[in-house]
Amino acid sequence: MDRNLLGYKGIKPTLAAVLLLTLVQSVSIVLLARWLAEVLSALFAGEPLHTQYNKIMMFLGAFLVRHIMGFIQQKISYAFAERTGASLRKQVMEKLFQLGPRFAKQEGTGNLVTLVLEGASKFRNYLELIVPRMAGISIIPWVILIYIFMQDITSGIILILAMPILIVFMILIGLAARKHTEKQLDTYRTLSNHFVDSLRGLETLKLLGQGRSHSDTIARVSDRYRSATMRTLRVAFMSSFALDFFTMLSVAVVAVGLGLRLINGEITLVTGLTVLILAPEYFLPVRMVGADFHATLDGKEAGAAMQLIIDEPLNQESDMEHAGQEERKLSWTKDSCLSLSGIGVQHQQKGPHSLDQVSLNIHGMGKIGIIGASGAGKSTLIDVLGGFLKPSEGSVILDSQQLGSLTTNAWRKLTTYIPQHPYIFGSTLAENIRFYAPDKAASDVERAAAAAGLSELIRTLPHGAEEMIGNGGRQLSGGQEQRVALARAFLSDRPVMLLDEPTAHLDIETEYELKQTMLPLFENKLVFLATHRLHWMPDMDLIIVLEHGRVAETGTHEELIARRGTYYELTQSQLGGVE
Amino acid sequence: MREESWLRPYVRTYWGRFLIIIALGCLTILTASMLMFTSGFLISKAALRPENILMVYVPIVLVRTFGISRSVVHYVERLVSHDAVLRIVSLMRTRLYRILEPQALFISSRFRTGDMLGVLSDDIQYLQDVYLRTVFPSLIALVMYVGSIAALGFFDIRFALFMALYVFILVAVLPWVSLLITKAKSRLAKQQRNNLYSKLTDAVLGMSDWVISGRQSQFVAAYEADEQEAARVNGQLKSWARWRQLIGQVVVGLSVISMVIWAAHEYAGGHISATLIAAFVLVVFPLMDAFMPVSEAIEKIPSYQTSLQRLGEIERTDGDGATCETADRVAGEKTSGVSAEEVRSLAASDVHLTVQHVSYRYDEASPWSLQDVSLDLPQGKRIAIIGRSGAGKSTLLKLIEGALKPSSGTVSLNGTDAFAIGDHMPQVVSVLNQSPHLFDTTVANNIRLGDRDAEDEDIQRAAAQVKLDQLIESLPLGYKTPMHETGQRFSGGERQRIALARVLLQNNPVVVLDEPTVGLDPRTENDLLATILDTMKGKSLIWVTHHLAGAEHMDEIIFMENGRIEMRGSHAELMETSERYRNLYRLDRPEAFMVK
Repeated sequence: MDRNLLGYKGIKPTLAAVLLLTLVQSVSIVLLARWLAEVLSALFAGEPLHTQYNKIMMFLGAFLVRHIMGFIQQKISYAFAERTGASLRKQVMEKLFQLGPRFAKQEGTGNLVTLVLEGASKFRNYLELIVPRMAGISIIPWVILIYIFMQDITSGIILILAMPILIVFMILIGLAARKHTEKQLDTYRTLSNHFVDSLRGLETLKLLGQGRSHSDTIARVSDRYRSATMRTLRVAFMSSFALDFFTMLSVAVVAVGLGLRLINGEITLVTGLTVLILAPEYFLPVRMVGADFHATLDGKEAGAAMQLIIDEPLNQESDMEHAGQEERKLSWTKDSCLSLSGIGVQHQQKGPHSLDQVSLNIHGMGKIGIIGASGAGKSTLIDVLGGFLKPSEGSVILDSQQLGSLTTNAWRKLTTYIPQHPYIFGSTLAENIRFYAPDKAASDVERAAAAAGLSELIRTLPHGAEEMIGNGGRQLSGGQEQRVALARAFLSDRPVMLLDEPTAHLDIETEYELKQTMLPLFENKLVFLATHRLHWMPDMDLIIVLEHGRVAETGTHEELIARRGTYYELTQSQLGGVE
Repeated sequence: MREESWLRPYVRTYWGRFLIIIALGCLTILTASMLMFTSGFLISKAALRPENILMVYVPIVLVRTFGISRSVVHYVERLVSHDAVLRIVSLMRTRLYRILEPQALFISSRFRTGDMLGVLSDDIQYLQDVYLRTVFPSLIALVMYVGSIAALGFFDIRFALFMALYVFILVAVLPWVSLLITKAKSRLAKQQRNNLYSKLTDAVLGMSDWVISGRQSQFVAAYEADEQEAARVNGQLKSWARWRQLIGQVVVGLSVISMVIWAAHEYAGGHISATLIAAFVLVVFPLMDAFMPVSEAIEKIPSYQTSLQRLGEIERTDGDGATCETADRVAGEKTSGVSAEEVRSLAASDVHLTVQHVSYRYDEASPWSLQDVSLDLPQGKRIAIIGRSGAGKSTLLKLIEGALKPSSGTVSLNGTDAFAIGDHMPQVVSVLNQSPHLFDTTVANNIRLGDRDAEDEDIQRAAAQVKLDQLIESLPLGYKTPMHETGQRFSGGERQRIALARVLLQNNPVVVLDEPTVGLDPRTENDLLATILDTMKGKSLIWVTHHLAGAEHMDEIIFMENGRIEMRGSHAELMETSERYRNLYRLDRPEAFMVK
């Protein structure tokens, strides 16, 4: 039983209603069995049919009540599940955006999307099933059992003994099955992944000349996969086999017992038939729980995973924002001053520092290069400056205002961010450019596109700036994606630009042209450019050299070269080239 | 319909097993029904209070037999059906692989978006359900339908036909109505789901932009609105499922009553004995249970359509566009015009690769991908090819790899046509590309892919050459470490080194490097290039690159644009003569850093 279950909003009235309906349902089951038995035994005794019409109608009534109760139960449970599932999903969504891109990257885009979509629907399924199943198992068998005891104590004893045996066997076999699966989980995983792994590696196989011969391997591995699966299934199906076996056996034992006692005249035919009809009904709720066991388990886990995201601690200033400081406007002008002091970032407690004791003073507009070997902390610093990440230590002062960090909407509204692979939304080119500033006029969009060197592309597109791009639309090349991001930044008119390795993946000609486009756009802005492409550095007004998460030195290109320090070494080792 | 070809042949292959499965399925229902029938009979018989218990001995034994055997039969049925379906899946997989294999080199350009291959593999997995959830239950219900009506007809043909009507509602009318009602809605629901999926993926991938733009709540609101719409459609589907269930139960209730009335009449008419009344009535419940799942089974049919369509399309498109030559060749069952012998002797000698005035376009209507390109590559020459995406580099490589046939001009190795070598090409030309796949097996097996017959020492030597030996030996399981466990530990550069080790084992005279260093940081890139150049001494190299780092080590540098060679020459020549080259070269080696 899920302890969280009782915590969901609206569970109590739902549960109360379902319990009540189940009670009515179990009474109707008893009645329909009784009335049918009475009709049958009366006919058996030779009574004419027309004397039984009333009873037959009563049976039909009870039968219908039983199923209508089930119908209403399902409806109520579904409505509850839908509401609860949706609210949980909404909380996850909101939380995701609060946690920001760093969390999304860490968890994996695919995982998160699957969790929000598949997870939420599995969870809904679970709620929809668990409520009526729990109500069913906690009422129906007992009501039936009490009635059977009133009719025939021996049958009652058989049935009450069968239930724990059945459950114990089911659990034992379930445990054995799990142990069995766990034991060969690794082989199983390899076997089941083999096919998709082969498809993904098809090009490599072909290039290595192994494409043809590998198809035999696929057949062979598929066959091994089948035997492994069958071995597991043989055990896994045992638990439903046990369920089936004990149910059917109990019914048979009850029936034979009833027959013998009828011969001895200890009971009447009506009692015999009633008990016989009720016996399978007694086991039905347990069998349904067994049948839905895996679906409910999946859903329960999905719900727990979603809850985990909601409970994720928030590394942000949102508390402050809620405290009414939302309105605080920040601005960045040529006289502004940003100082970071003692900034440290630790992704895990007691883990290594990604940034350590970083102190910087930034004045007004200018181009600032951030350079360092891989893992020196370039991207982390950009994340801190862009307000994606709250540092674990240190403080930020902006124009003499003390800020805990830059993770506020007020600061984000001043910045634009261009990563290595800017994301292109599945929308029109114009909409993509307008992303930060949705209200800008078409003429502004056009000017921004021109400044980013997109005019040529737009001319060649069949629908011009209204062409669909991104997922499901036209694919852009790496250089064109950067230009869209540049146009986005240019149109937004925001004073601070952050770029994280914008050109390293491009071919050198595209990089050269893009650099010519970018440099003029950097004028009159505060630009942070993190890269390992050295050619940018002479164009920077200030260079921050990072080493192992610390600021090794700062200065202009000339100053740093003259110092012959870390920067000089870094450049020389890179320029050393290929020996 | 082409799609059906993914279902039908397997029925033919396994018809024997299918028959057994259906027989077992019917037997399961039969035993459950007979348990109730014999129980009802036993109790009624016992109520007559026979003198001797032996009078009810047979029914007692039957009740016990049916009680035990139903679970056993059902268990066997499930195992047999899963076994058959897994056999089918195995055949489907081999078939999909055989379809995709000839087009392997074009897959990445054809399925640019998403993980199409993963989707196809899931499709096959999903098609299991066609048999398990739809075909078997429907056929079993159908056989039971005919069987039970025939059995009843033995007693009273008119009443049997009357009952046939009730069951007809369950096995035909409800499923048909169900299909009618849910078909459009299921499709809509699926569409909405896909839509939500791409919207959410878009948002998560572009999250930094949403966060910076300050519009995240706008997105959440829009997304929730879509979710609600999807929930509404889903709710309608669920609501119908509930109604369907209720209608089905009403039919069951009515048929029970009809059975009571009929049995009473029969008894009154003296056609059946009193002991059969209860038996006939009680058997209705378990029997009807067999017919209820048919609606659900039929309702699933539209959901298979997408998977079947996708698989069908894969087969269709292998006859057009980019892959037509490849497909033709496969269709001709002739793997190449050159024998394996000839290729072996070619690979053993020095190879002179020549590309003479080659042009290529996919078909008459499309623009030229490549125009009048010539290369001359005697054994040991090293060239670099530079150009933007779409300049024709990949097409040129495919021509050299013998995967495409030039529209005009020739590509030849020691005079043998490259396209004719075809599938034997991996014995002459090795390729190291941007993202070589590392398979989910051990490190040693991954390296061994270069040469299946390689001994452990060869593998260790190759690993040492690519400077991975120390790293691999430091792993707890050494060369036997499964790759998926190294996924976190091996960096991009190290993964490329494993692929390089494969190429070394292949030991071919010609090596194509297709941007193997993209995405690596400069330090790693330089180290990897140094290793590559060092281990590739004496081999002809064709290196497609996007940087000029290492260009000094090449004999010739070729700039491509719009399918043509724009500029070519050695590093020294180009530095001398071309302003453009100097500008580009300065990006990689800025003069400002050339401190004396």
